[in-house]
Amino acid sequence: MQVAIASGKGGVGKSTITASLLYFLKDRYKLIAVDADAEAPNLGLLLGVEEWEEEREHIGAKVAKINTETCVRCGICYERCPYESIYIDEDGNYIVNELTCEGCNVCGLVCPVPGTITLEQARSGVIRKATTKYGFPIISAQLDVGRPESGKLVTEEKEWAKKLMDELNLEHMIVDSAAGIGCQVIASIGGADLTILIAEPTPASLSDVQRAYKVVQHFRQPAYLIINKADLNPGFTALREWAEAEGIPVIGEVPYDRAIPKSMAMLKPVVEAFPDSPASKALKEIAERIAEEILG
Amino acid sequence: MQIAVSGGKGGTGKSTVAINLAVELARRFKLVLADLDVEAPNDHLLLGVELAGEEPVNQFMPKFDYSKCTKCRKCAEVCEEHAIITLKDGTPFLMPNLCSGCRACEIVCPVPGAILEAFRVIGHTYVTETPYGFTLVTGKLREGEERSMPLVVEAKKRARNLDYELLMVDTAAGTGNTVSKAIEGSKLLIAVTEPTPLGIHDTELILQLGKLMGLKTWVVVNRADLGDVGKVREIAEKYGAEVVAEIPYSENIVRSYVSGRPIVLEDVPEAKIFRELAERVAGFLGGGE
Ligand code: SF4
Ligand code: SF4
Ligand code: SF4
Ligand code: SF4
Repeated sequence: MQVAIASGKGGVGKSTITASLLYFLKDRYKLIAVDADAEAPNLGLLLGVEEWEEEREHIGAKVAKINTETCVRCGICYERCPYESIYIDEDGNYIVNELTCEGCNVCGLVCPVPGTITLEQARSGVIRKATTKYGFPIISAQLDVGRPESGKLVTEEKEWAKKLMDELNLEHMIVDSAAGIGCQVIASIGGADLTILIAEPTPASLSDVQRAYKVVQHFRQPAYLIINKADLNPGFTALREWAEAEGIPVIGEVPYDRAIPKSMAMLKPVVEAFPDSPASKALKEIAERIAEEILG
Repeated sequence: MQIAVSGGKGGTGKSTVAINLAVELARRFKLVLADLDVEAPNDHLLLGVELAGEEPVNQFMPKFDYSKCTKCRKCAEVCEEHAIITLKDGTPFLMPNLCSGCRACEIVCPVPGAILEAFRVIGHTYVTETPYGFTLVTGKLREGEERSMPLVVEAKKRARNLDYELLMVDTAAGTGNTVSKAIEGSKLLIAVTEPTPLGIHDTELILQLGKLMGLKTWVVVNRADLGDVGKVREIAEKYGAEVVAEIPYSENIVRSYVSGRPIVLEDVPEAKIFRELAERVAGFLGGGE
């Protein structure tokens, strides 16, 4: 089974909860973890990965290049670039800003001087694999700075993970998805059997998880909700009300607990670092419910 | 003039810093705050305001006039997004979700009128007057849309068309090219970070981006008491950046976050930190280094 874990926004505890659930579930199932947050991957760090066993470069993005020798400075590319990624430097040369170029090649198509603008392959990042100290493998990616948002990177991560599942005879893939609702998240959630949403009782987190849920609905998947820092904001009932109205089962609540940031500073799942903390107890219960009601 | 608030990873308190700085700086500058975290825009919630002035962002997509199309496949070949698939006989079909609206297909199509202009709404922009003396511009990507770049571009355009002395942009998390697009044109980049090992790892990336873009960069350490600020300083130094403020973990900030009332307006010690930071920013902008 493929389970995506998403939150719509960063910083609500998605990775630490994911790491903790993996920690419990590894004893019952043969798992693989995928860190699909290619812009800020940290699941590997949380699971104590220090060295990657295998690393593959991902050459996917394209960037335009202008040959200033042949350019006649007509400015057509500058006007037509849909993302305003061409600028004019102090010497009057037309230059592509590689940090914002989307590689659509519109400039190359409109340039009147053949061969002046070329579209070149660029590295968009790396995908890597390791075996965690808990025995299960993890696939993670790191997008290069300034590269196009890369759902493709996530898609490739998942393909690699699927291959490993076949080779190693694994049962479940747990995908820690990126923040937001864009292509990385769509690639994370797409193809999963179900999504576990994580949110905290704040207006911002509610708004973001609602948006993530719409992506889940788009794929017609079942969704579940874990409420983190559940006691943070007792007056705020809108999160639970929303889940109830949408028919999203709440599979557990994790109380606010200083053990969580402390465990993160130690780069350990909280359930390993502080097994008796209130958060860890709650997470253990949640893992049991996931095993019984979802993974079977 | 433009400055940017960013942070390598989500949840570091980037928006908290952005809105509090905006409230404070609005006393000195005619200010516009642009929330360019288009996948998860939250500044309006933190400010306790309802979004207003909605405008759809329409994105071009090709529509084929099959009575004219010669099935030459050129449009499909040129589409970098592989948004056009062709049948065996060459008939093109669009997969709207993949289309970025770049118009490359329209440019190469050799038959006038075979590709017609169609549009779809990929999100919205908003212009909201806040009760704090500044205008908030928000970009919001529609759920199910994959590409946030066009929305970042549109929201930034809408902000730039307003009348202001200082434009402040709040970016998405991460260091992809939509973050660089948001930051582009800034005189100062304020990177919000946490002193945890994870936070430090991501800070390095945003500092790299700042350096690549040749920007003056400052670092604000949030939840400074949860880790080793010395490590953040080390990394900052490596990239020629400077740690300019430390914000402790604080229940007051959490409460203000939840209630949608900026903390600089309260009479608490944390407010002072934001006021001093704002002063420093104002000094930097006024004096111009
Ligand atoms: S490839 Fe597209 S985004 Fe890049 S510079 Fe050319 S027109 Fe602009
Ligand atoms: S369109 Fe071609 S010739 Fe004209 S400015 Fe751009 S690169 Fe130069
Ligand atoms: S507009 Fe661009 S992305 Fe859309 S179909 Fe045409 S070439 Fe492809
Ligand atoms: S390029 Fe124009 S004529 Fe050729 S297949 Fe596409 S729409 Fe039809």
